[in-house]
Amino acid sequence: MAYSVNISVEAPIENQIQEITYDGQEIYQAPLTLSENLAKIAQKIDFSKSNGDEVKKEPPEGGEKSEDDSKDPAPFQSSLWPWDSVRNKLRNALTEVCVLADVLSIVKEKKYMVLDPVPQEVPDVKPMVQVYARKKALSGAGQVLLFGAERLRNCQNELARSRATPDFHIELLRLRQNWRLKKVSNSIIGDLSYRTAGSKYTQTGMFEVTKAEEEEKVWSSPPASPNPNSSSSSNSTPSQSHTSSNSKVNPSALRVTIPSELQGVAYIEVLCQKDQEDLCSANISLLNGGTNSSNADMHWQQKLEAAQNVLFCKELFSQLAREAVHLRAPIPHMVVGNQIMATVLPGIQLIIGLCHSTGNDKKPSAPPPQKTEHDHVLEHSLHQLLREVHHKNTHHSFPHPSSGPIGPSKRRCLAGPNAADRYELLEMTKSQTLLEQIIQQAQHFFMRLRTEYVLDTIAKEVKDPLIVSHWNALNSPTQSCVKINILTHGYDTVCRTSLVVHVGEKSLKCVCRDGRVMHMSYEPQELRDLIFCQIYQHQITAVQALAKCMGWQFLANSSHLGLGAVEPLGNASSCILASPIGDRMIAVRCEPQTGVQVGIAHSPRKDFFPGQLVRERKWENLGGSFKEVRWDKMEGKNFLNKMELLMASLTSS
Amino acid sequence: MGVTVLQQFPMSENRTGPQTIEFLTKRVVALGAVQTGQFLVDCETYQSVPQLGSPKTVHVLHNSEQPASVFAVLESGTKVVPLIADGLFDLLMLKMTSIYTSKKQTKVEAKGPRFEIGDFCVKLGSVTMSQNFKGVLVEVEYRPCVIPGSSWELMREFLQGFLGSAVPNQAPQYLQNRMNEIYQPMDTIQQYLEHFGQYRKSTSVI
Repeated sequence: MAYSVNISVEAPIENQIQEITYDGQEIYQAPLTLSENLAKIAQKIDFSKSNGDEVKKEPPEGGEKSEDDSKDPAPFQSSLWPWDSVRNKLRNALTEVCVLADVLSIVKEKKYMVLDPVPQEVPDVKPMVQVYARKKALSGAGQVLLFGAERLRNCQNELARSRATPDFHIELLRLRQNWRLKKVSNSIIGDLSYRTAGSKYTQTGMFEVTKAEEEEKVWSSPPASPNPNSSSSSNSTPSQSHTSSNSKVNPSALRVTIPSELQGVAYIEVLCQKDQEDLCSANISLLNGGTNSSNADMHWQQKLEAAQNVLFCKELFSQLAREAVHLRAPIPHMVVGNQIMATVLPGIQLIIGLCHSTGNDKKPSAPPPQKTEHDHVLEHSLHQLLREVHHKNTHHSFPHPSSGPIGPSKRRCLAGPNAADRYELLEMTKSQTLLEQIIQQAQHFFMRLRTEYVLDTIAKEVKDPLIVSHWNALNSPTQSCVKINILTHGYDTVCRTSLVVHVGEKSLKCVCRDGRVMHMSYEPQELRDLIFCQIYQHQITAVQALAKCMGWQFLANSSHLGLGAVEPLGNASSCILASPIGDRMIAVRCEPQTGVQVGIAHSPRKDFFPGQLVRERKWENLGGSFKEVRWDKMEGKNFLNKMELLMASLTSS
Repeated sequence: MGVTVLQQFPMSENRTGPQTIEFLTKRVVALGAVQTGQFLVDCETYQSVPQLGSPKTVHVLHNSEQPASVFAVLESGTKVVPLIADGLFDLLMLKMTSIYTSKKQTKVEAKGPRFEIGDFCVKLGSVTMSQNFKGVLVEVEYRPCVIPGSSWELMREFLQGFLGSAVPNQAPQYLQNRMNEIYQPMDTIQQYLEHFGQYRKSTSVI
């Protein structure tokens, strides 16, 4: 009744519809005029009823009532026109008033009529009864007020509590938005496995959703527990527990129970070992490490995510372990306990381990201190690889025609009509396992590391021609590319040697400027030798280019000289230059091992002494013996600068 | 996938079919070829039922070089319609037995060893028609080239090298019409079909 609401019903302020024409137009009745309205309303008055009321109000004047009754029926029967009944009523009223006036005037005379007061019995009042009655009435009223107040307070408490702890059903709704739930008889079971995303891992990821008990929360909060009455009086406890719990953490109305094998924290550790020395390691986990799911108060969302991460890591590891067992490698992969060992390159091992710390341990095993920096790339790749497998499991290409078999790729479907031969079909069946792919990526990682190291050390060692390497920013996980420029400081427009090295998984491919392609193995020494050969070839070509600028003639050139001591790598290269007037010659010999040797010769020597064999001066024009220049004593910043100075001095003198 | 030339090797009186294959194998191996398994090309011919009006013939062929494909050649009057389909085509033909009936006696196949020698692929096939030996077909494929006109001379030399004078100096008629077109797998099938037709017509071993 407190919530009863007044409902008023009134007619719409609209005219009544008289008729509706065929085209849908509505013809309204004209509104009533004031007088018509008055007549209509007046007709509704039932005067007989109001008459009766009058009669009741004046019980003493019984004599007059009989008069009224006798007159009453007449006007109703002869209602000829609308105002007839009104006129009759007014006339009756007038008659009555006249009679009353007459009576009063007769009473005034005090001769014929006397008005006697009607004697009234005063009931005897008992004071005690009155007191009791009042007391009872007051207590009743008080009861009503107290009851109302209690309801209001309850209502207030309910509101306050629901603000602090969300309603179970609302929580459930939120849970339902992100996780798969189903109702099995009386319990709610959820599934956190990746099966809907394409995983084929057999372990189930079931969890149970229950309502968090109110009592547990109450007892856990210290202020509420000492009071024994608090449990009985319902309205004081929630407010206390509310304030206490609000101060620490927002409690959830939900409780999720996950199976014990999914509790805790799991991550996959990737270690690259070279002779028992850790080169790099990566920790794989979906969450950023530090969450500790043993905490019972953790929010269900974090708890479920942690459990899902455990499941993911387990699936990844079991997949890798299975592949490691089945894969045939020259050095077989080893699976021991929670570790997979695979040989990436000779002497370098890739160790993938599954670390799972259950929350039951008192101190959850802290992740081992990072020996080297975290490798985000390997972490990401492993993560990505399994996701790709999941994706492929759920995303089949649709069969064409629709009656065709489901499953084969689009390329395989088209292989028949395109008459693909057996090689193409064999190529299609090849697929790489996760382990193979991660090993390839690790191999590439090492190849890149080694190439970087070789290039950097050569650039540090060799100062004379500068070695500039540009790494391509865009590369794939198993292939990258570096462009190497060899140039001399100050002479970079004169000559520049560039080559490109493609870094693959286990080999290097080098494309030189002249279009030669060289394939190298994973041994870094091969690349080192190649770069050194390129450096000395660069020196010779640069000298030739410089000679052209200086006006010197270029007599002979050999990039693979058969003379001199046998080089451990490559061949010596050489060239012979002649001065503009042809009287001086310079011979340059470059070899990777001993460096640069420069010799000069004067064609007609200034001093001539005829001897036994050479009797005439003209034979001196044939060219003489070369004298070696003490190159380390030469002026100049670098080889080309020294050559330029040498040529200049020989030209001028 | 390169240019393929199909060549009949004439049978001599004193050799049986397997002996001829053996003889040629020795020659090819002497050239340095390596055997890489067996090959099989088969051809089944279906005839349309008379109710269908003008008679039509469908040849369904399989080539082990294209294991996922089924080749079909439909001959109706002067028109020839080639088709390459996937393996489901065989099942489709089974459903059409009321329209096309197969003549089991005319099923022809060529099978034998397959060799690889450098860029060439050599197949020595003994042709049998419903278990009866009909002759020897030698298939030579030059894989780096797809234009018959550019590779014929080289192939002729190679063919004459181990088949002798059985190889004419002119390219086969089928290839001569398409000397400058890109060679397709269907062209191999057409050549086989031509040769199979000759074997069917002849009553004795060629």
